Amino acid sequence: MNAPTPALVPAEVIPAPVGLLAELTHRCPLRCPYCSNPMELDRRSAELDTATWLRVLTEASKLGVLHVHLSGGEPTARNDIVEITAKCAELGLYSNLITSGVGGALSKLDALYDAGLDHVQLSVQGVDAANAEKIGGLKNAQPQKMQFAARVTELGLPLTLNSVIHRGNIHEVPGFIDLAVKLGAKRLEVAHTQYYGWAFVNRASLMPNKAQVDESIRIVEAARERLKGELVIDLVVPDYYAKYPKACAGGWGRKLMNVTPQGKVLPCHAAETIPNLEFWYVTDHSLGEIWTQSPAFNAYRGTSWMKEPCRSCDRREKDWGGCRCQALALTGDAAATDPACSLSPLHAKMRELATEEAAENPPDYIYRTIGSNVQSPLKEKAPL
Amino acid sequence: MTAIFPTPAADEDQRLLSPDELEAALRDIGARRYHNLHPFHRLLHDGKLNKDQVRAWALNRYYYQAMIPVKDAAVLARMQDAQLRRIWRQRIVDHDGDAPGDGGIERWLKLAEGVGFSRDYVLSTKGILSATKFSVEAYVHFVAEKPLLEAIASSLTEMFSPTIISERVAGMLKNYDFITKDTLAYFEKRLTQAPRDADFALEYVKQHATTPELQRKAMAALTFKCTVLWTQLDALYFAYVAPGMVPPEAWQPGEGLVAEKTTAPAGGKHGPFVGSDVPRLPRGVRLRFDDVREKHVLLAPERTFDLDDNAVAVLKLVDGKRSVGDIAGELAANYAADRSLIEADIGTMLAELAQKRVLER
Repeated sequence: MNAPTPALVPAEVIPAPVGLLAELTHRCPLRCPYCSNPMELDRRSAELDTATWLRVLTEASKLGVLHVHLSGGEPTARNDIVEITAKCAELGLYSNLITSGVGGALSKLDALYDAGLDHVQLSVQGVDAANAEKIGGLKNAQPQKMQFAARVTELGLPLTLNSVIHRGNIHEVPGFIDLAVKLGAKRLEVAHTQYYGWAFVNRASLMPNKAQVDESIRIVEAARERLKGELVIDLVVPDYYAKYPKACAGGWGRKLMNVTPQGKVLPCHAAETIPNLEFWYVTDHSLGEIWTQSPAFNAYRGTSWMKEPCRSCDRREKDWGGCRCQALALTGDAAATDPACSLSPLHAKMRELATEEAAENPPDYIYRTIGSNVQSPLKEKAPL
Repeated sequence: MTAIFPTPAADEDQRLLSPDELEAALRDIGARRYHNLHPFHRLLHDGKLNKDQVRAWALNRYYYQAMIPVKDAAVLARMQDAQLRRIWRQRIVDHDGDAPGDGGIERWLKLAEGVGFSRDYVLSTKGILSATKFSVEAYVHFVAEKPLLEAIASSLTEMFSPTIISERVAGMLKNYDFITKDTLAYFEKRLTQAPRDADFALEYVKQHATTPELQRKAMAALTFKCTVLWTQLDALYFAYVAPGMVPPEAWQPGEGLVAEKTTAPAGGKHGPFVGSDVPRLPRGVRLRFDDVREKHVLLAPERTFDLDDNAVAVLKLVDGKRSVGDIAGELAANYAADRSLIEADIGTMLAELAQKRVLER
């Protein structure tokens, strides 16, 4: 498939991005089977240097970015994480550390606080330690995470817990809520797995059934009522059982820029799965040029690339056709309607697939690793 | 809710319905006429009423609550079967309680007090709209005068009592900052009572409406009861929402209230901010000017809040030192406005931000 011809969008009508996802490194002590990093992970030797990151942040600030998400991999694996955080503070950028809380994270936390870090998002794979460590693929991770969380709140930093939900931990949703309250988190993300990249490969091991999903939503809604004013709970529902798709990253090229460890700039973290898109690098272009002119950002920006049923749909500027990567993975065409949408002709099939996979015994996880040649165990590989 | 079976069309008016068809027809009446469909109810449910409008509702609805045992006593007086009376009298117990301080009427009084009324003013029923009184009294007369089957059928609006939390009284009122947790605590019991009552009455009607004529009368009785409830909301809407014509002698905002305290926290941790509260932005929440978009924004974890000019003016003064009273004072001086009005407004605005966890006191 060829990428669509870039639309000629005049720079002045493109609203400024609000968020920058800075994937500082792909290195991570955890090996979660739903990792959002690409299948081909960048090696340390390919990572951008400190000076380049500081320049990228400066350009982001000028461009209108307000939030910077310092992510990875494990961002504290970078030796310059404190310097990068301090730069955010200097520029007035809101810094959000997205961390696993393991490895060297705790040892750098106080320095990050002093550098002006605004917020910490800590991943928790499970509530029961053995289960959590099985999912994350790292022994002794849970106590480290708990210690890390305790220090975050001790410092007075706002804490969000992020729990990615799948069939291996969906029974722990009430436990995640209790844990968030116990740790003094202000926010909890109950994020059902999004099936791209590693999670797509592991879908049969991860997909819960519809009844489990409904129950998890009911639990979250009841907890929101009960904990009003104490804990904010954000719920990301799973696409495979949804009625309408999500506006991926707030719409392609509308809100978010994602810079990979080696400096490639993506409209969303999974965009590299779409073949023949031309991505630009921060080492070749300024962030502003990339935002307005790079072929990848303009490929699916706005609505002119859409096909039916999106093109004439009332919701086209609400969900922007859903997720391009999911459309590609499931239909073979990145410009098709995301099958998560009930208006997609493939929606019923997508749900059937989920229902079937959830009914079977889960295969073992394929853990994320750098430099492996992963074979998908999915019976029915894309497209539907 | 849509009925599985529609109300029988006119041409089959005289057909005898099966018990299940009768139930479906009765439920269909509720689906079309129950007062949860009323515009006033929608405003209440969506948190769109102001404090005085909620007060007007609480006050008028008290009259209905207070008359329910009178109505049920009238029904009871006509029952010649001891077993039936034993069941029905439970409704009176539920409403009146077994002792002072207990029961449904008392719970409603607590609610009225919770929104600021003095107990004596509510008990006096002075400020109740005459339309409220007329419709409630029409209900009492109806059950006293009509045959027992129709009296019982008229109680079947209980079938439509909401089961989802957000539609129940406590659920709806949670949208309002000025309602405290204590006020809402009184609303837990009714959850189990209404379904139990409705089941019994429905079975009675299904068993005793044995001719087409009796079935139509039962349906008419339920329709009548729906209009009793609907009319009360019509009157509230007319007097207190639009066009806002309050009849002579009916309650006017400000009347019958216990003097509001401005120093004690009205709602503790979650209520509106009062004069002495000192608001502050917690770590992780920042107000900044966005040079690119040329406006102020409030940055918080994973979120950006767009602010209107009023909110910016207030938040610029939030520094963890100034109290709400101080802020209101400065704004009143700058904008030549009434200080107590500003204080009340910003108290509510700050509470909304606190509920989103981006402001503390």
